[in-house]
Amino acid sequence: MTKKYWIIVGLVAAVAVITTLMLASPAAAGKLEEAIAKTPQGVGKGMIDSKAAPGFMGIPGAPSPFWLFGILWGIWVGWIFSTVGAFGGIMAGVGHITVFGLADYGRSFKDTSPVLNKLLTDSIRTSNQYLVGLSAFISSLTYYRMGRLVLPLGLCLAGGGIAGAYLIPVLTAGKINLSQYIGFFGIIVLVIGCFLFYETTEAGQKSKKAAKAAAAAFESEHIKRAAGEVTEHGAAGVQVTHWGASKISFTFYGVEFSFAPIWPILGGFVIAAISAFIGVGGGFLYVPFLTSIAGLPMYVVAGTSAMAVLVSMITSIFTFMFIKGTPIDFLFIGVELVGIFIGSILGPYTSKYIPDRWLKRIFVVLAVYVGVGYTTKGFLGYSIFPGM
Amino acid sequence: MEMHPLWMLVDPYIIWFYRLTGYAFADFLLGTFVLAWIALLVGEFTISMVFLVSKQRIDASTEESRHYQDLSAEALSAGDKEAYRAANKLANDAFGKSFFMQIALSAAFLWPVFVALAWMNQRFAELEFPLIFTDYALGCVGVFIVLYVAAYLIFKKIKYKLPYFRWIKTILDSYQSGPVEAKSFTDGLPAVRKDEKR
Repeated sequence: MTKKYWIIVGLVAAVAVITTLMLASPAAAGKLEEAIAKTPQGVGKGMIDSKAAPGFMGIPGAPSPFWLFGILWGIWVGWIFSTVGAFGGIMAGVGHITVFGLADYGRSFKDTSPVLNKLLTDSIRTSNQYLVGLSAFISSLTYYRMGRLVLPLGLCLAGGGIAGAYLIPVLTAGKINLSQYIGFFGIIVLVIGCFLFYETTEAGQKSKKAAKAAAAAFESEHIKRAAGEVTEHGAAGVQVTHWGASKISFTFYGVEFSFAPIWPILGGFVIAAISAFIGVGGGFLYVPFLTSIAGLPMYVVAGTSAMAVLVSMITSIFTFMFIKGTPIDFLFIGVELVGIFIGSILGPYTSKYIPDRWLKRIFVVLAVYVGVGYTTKGFLGYSIFPGM
Repeated sequence: MEMHPLWMLVDPYIIWFYRLTGYAFADFLLGTFVLAWIALLVGEFTISMVFLVSKQRIDASTEESRHYQDLSAEALSAGDKEAYRAANKLANDAFGKSFFMQIALSAAFLWPVFVALAWMNQRFAELEFPLIFTDYALGCVGVFIVLYVAAYLIFKKIKYKLPYFRWIKTILDSYQSGPVEAKSFTDGLPAVRKDEKR
């Protein structure tokens, strides 16, 4: 990784922060205290009993999950991350929404204290983003260090990402109530469940088998290098040949790739917006977008998407945390992170006993349960499945 | 607000660093800088442990992705579009696996930061440093992040002068198949081959 790349990333990140500062209004200090003060005092539903023991975020009477449960849930999330993938982020959200009882607690203030209700919504999704997104940012650095970057593509993605990651928190923080958030969360879970399901079907397996066969055929025919020999590829293979408002072209190993800048800008915007709204990192969406939809080589996609994750995460967390003043229970996130890395160590050791296809099928069932449960709870007011 | 039992235990020790000079502002900066260092060192230590335990699994996961990425580049240079698309698709799938594993492993580096921020929030939540020429103020979290980044940049320079991290590097260098660059922030994550570094 050269200094030039770091300077560019630094500049883009600085632009993200400055734009946020220029466009936003200052955070109201002590938002949580204000919201608590405006909430009816008492022991009934939708009230705060100031004499009760402090729970989540120090709110008197709020759920106070035992720290060990945070670690145990984190282990579950980490295990899923290292075996199934994206579904780990979903499970991090399920933990905050259902397992630790924050959603039901927040929903109790729907009529008595809408401000507190929405503040809890923002806190839940920011907590998800810290838990998943920040780790995605760290791991993205590994790929970014590889230096395989198509700079104009990264800038287009990052530009769209800044807009999406900034606008969604600004437009929705303090406005989305818990029911709406849970409903949309449920829909996203269902979509991810559909993808997982497709991968386990004959059609999904067939296309993977065909790809493996084609790759193996090419390998045996053309690649005759000695075992352990390393072939030099990399950024030297990327040459940007044309910069323009309507078309940007680059060559990779002599083959020309071109794209209209509007598509990565739009893609970056939509992905960053979804990530900020639900509270995830977005890394899992950038790469398929660039390889499957844009048809770009994986060799340059990883580093390029890493730049976009980096920038959108800085913007999104900065906006939620500093501009909108969303309160966060840092200690609980720290405890969950301990569980996540323990789970990620255990995952590879245990998953070898469960076939990948069956593992995915189990999570399809879980995705349907959580997705339908949250969608109905969010939009109908009750979950058709128990325990949600 | 009532103090969490965990802070009752550690608070007397941490707050000692906030009372060194007798000048409030200097003490705050000094104490927070020390706290940032503690968070950084604990994070580096845990991720180095995770790396030692999971190194082989991480390598296996990233090797598949790397293999298909290399293959797609070979196919492209050979002009075989079909093989390129196939290898690219497989590289995408393999990348997904290793990417999410790394996300989870990164938690080992980050968790002390959140514990430190939680303590700071308990102690200094009301503190604000107005930013000149703006309507904004930097809270204790913002000050911590700035000092944490500073500590990280300094640590990066001296890391392998410390016996423990030099020892870890020796172990990693000795049992991996290829040359590996293991340094900084993401040490617990799959390392980059030297030939890939620009």
